[in-house]
Amino acid sequence: MNENATILLVEDEAQIRRFVRTALEAEGHHVLESGTLTHGLEQARQSKPQLTILDLGLPDGDGIDFIRELRTQSELPVLVLSARSAEAEKIRALDAGADDYLTKPFSIGELLARVRALLRRNRTDSAAAETSLRFGTVEVDLVRRQITRSSHIVHLTPIEYRLLCAMLANAGRVMTYRNLLRAVWGSAHIESTHYLRIYVSHLRQKLEDDPAQPKYFLTETGIGYRFQY
Amino acid sequence: MNETSPQGRFAAMFAAPQQTPSVARRIAWVVIPCVLVTLLAWPLRDMLDPANTAMLYLLAVALIAMRAGRYAAFIAAFSSTALLDFFFIHPRFTLTVGDMQHMVTLIVMLAVALIIGNLTVSLQQQITAAIERERQSQALYQLASQLAGTTSLEQVATATRQFLQQAQGARSILLMHRNNALHPVEPEHHLRSGLQSAAAFAALREAQKRPLFDEPRYWLFLPLHGSTYVRGVLAIDFGEANIASVNVQQTLYEAIAALVAIAVERLHFVEVAQRAQLQMTDERLRSGILAALSHDIRSPLTVLYGMADTLAQTALPPPALDTITAMREQALHLNNMVSNILDMAKLRAGNVRMNPEWQPLEEVVGASIKLLGGALALHPVKVLLPPDLPLLKFDAVLMERVLCNLLENAAKYSPPGSTVTLAAQIEGDMALISVCDAGSGFPPDRLDKVFDLFERGDAESSIPGVGLGLAICRSIVEAHGGTIGAENRNGACVTFTLPLGEPPRIELDERDE
Repeated sequence: MNENATILLVEDEAQIRRFVRTALEAEGHHVLESGTLTHGLEQARQSKPQLTILDLGLPDGDGIDFIRELRTQSELPVLVLSARSAEAEKIRALDAGADDYLTKPFSIGELLARVRALLRRNRTDSAAAETSLRFGTVEVDLVRRQITRSSHIVHLTPIEYRLLCAMLANAGRVMTYRNLLRAVWGSAHIESTHYLRIYVSHLRQKLEDDPAQPKYFLTETGIGYRFQY
Repeated sequence: MNETSPQGRFAAMFAAPQQTPSVARRIAWVVIPCVLVTLLAWPLRDMLDPANTAMLYLLAVALIAMRAGRYAAFIAAFSSTALLDFFFIHPRFTLTVGDMQHMVTLIVMLAVALIIGNLTVSLQQQITAAIERERQSQALYQLASQLAGTTSLEQVATATRQFLQQAQGARSILLMHRNNALHPVEPEHHLRSGLQSAAAFAALREAQKRPLFDEPRYWLFLPLHGSTYVRGVLAIDFGEANIASVNVQQTLYEAIAALVAIAVERLHFVEVAQRAQLQMTDERLRSGILAALSHDIRSPLTVLYGMADTLAQTALPPPALDTITAMREQALHLNNMVSNILDMAKLRAGNVRMNPEWQPLEEVVGASIKLLGGALALHPVKVLLPPDLPLLKFDAVLMERVLCNLLENAAKYSPPGSTVTLAAQIEGDMALISVCDAGSGFPPDRLDKVFDLFERGDAESSIPGVGLGLAICRSIVEAHGGTIGAENRNGACVTFTLPLGEPPRIELDERDE
């Protein structure tokens, strides 16, 4: 699956821009570079890229304002680059509308995987809603609300099913605790993170080969979860 | 007008209360007025009615009561009654009373004399006491205003010492409680005997005043009460002074001690406030430096790592590929080291905000293993978590640091291909979590030191690291109320504990599909 996309890269460090561009171009993408937020916003408006990679620590403003501003005009996926131990900053960016984040330093493989997931997401969004989904040996039939694993039917409780749907619908994105709790339990329960954690662990027990080392229902420690396939 | 100095005025104010006159003087005070009245009335004995003569005697009794005190007034009352009877009531020169009327005169006179004497003396005493109180409060006011201006303990000690010296001729020593000992504030003024030190300590411990007669000197030790504990002791050396007068004024000395205690307390809080301010400035500076460092080091590291990784993706001859892979690994190591240094600095500075939440341990274990990724490539991890392990309360990000450090260490110090085991179990009210490897273990003689800052199992080891990982683990585990320890089983084993506490009740939904 190698579809060419236009990717906007907003990052003030020229050397980082350089190797990210090299990696993305090697994948066949077209890269637009921007060293400041103002210029970045302008390019996002004019060139209609399919994805933005955004460094949060830019000299001319707060990257989170950039995301908010961007979200007023488009659903363009945003991949945030951020330092470790800046969980609060990441959560703010994700709550503002960013789709995913990468912690510096990051490997090229990881970067390309995230880019691929977000681009795929973008395409499935625009296509008609899928009726079934498959990951590993698990198949989810969204019409009949039936889940099978290695051809055996798996029973989920209503909350487990709602959680699964919320995560599948946001595949490739990081969902903060707050977002998932709001989607599954409603906005009155956004503090009950222990419930969320327990239900995620139920899903892992039912759908993962090794629940202690999950492959699909991934933990973003201190931030939330990501469903990836 | 001869203006006296303030200290001179204190001295006057503190002059011991009016001395009661000596016995001889008091006898003179009784005898002379009585004799005078008798001599004066004698020529008039036939003109004056004895009842009127009695008035003259009453006047004398009042005068005596005023000047010579209660007992003198009583004696005067009885003796003037006797004198009236003897010289002025018929039959004269006997104590017998002829007329019944005169009997009444004598009895009333005695009664009135006693009452007048008593009232006069009481009034006199009240006036004296009031004057004394007035003097004391004025003196205390003066001392208080002097102490209010002090800016150091030395000034408090000096002001108190000079005040007591000039007012009472007493010597005072201010002792502050520090490190379980009493230190004189002015080094040249200190206690001179074990007896004195013992009394000072007793005053401190019991928080009560302690008198001491240290032959031939009389001492008083007064605790200085702070808001939370006794801050020190004010020792007053009265020399060979009149013990009685010291005892009379004990409340005054207690008030002085209270004033000194307030001054000391005020200075203490000024110091606390200053220190807090300094610490705040310090803290702001430190976190500023840390943030800058973190950004400025991470950016080039990200570039270095990313570029090496880009090169490693291209078709390179094997030696070049090895080199570039090694470069990438070194960049990652360097990044981990920087992370550890920054973590340690933050933990040390105490500005890590904990966000403990109830959660399954399994989740953070999985996240840690995934995060380490390549570093664990040659070491399969066996995870042994009991299925009934309850939720634990911890900060997920920090716990991930602990597990990552322990797993990374285990992989670093054990042969490739050997298994690393992560296990948990419940013991009492604690969860025990251990990470064990199949390596050569910790040096047995330094098992208790491996968690110290900058301590490495083998100081000369070629394996990279600065000995921060385990120190960070200890800081984090202790912040969660747990303990951490190292031992050698079939390899190195680090076990830490987390308190179980009471997890929130969970109501699961029905299985209705």
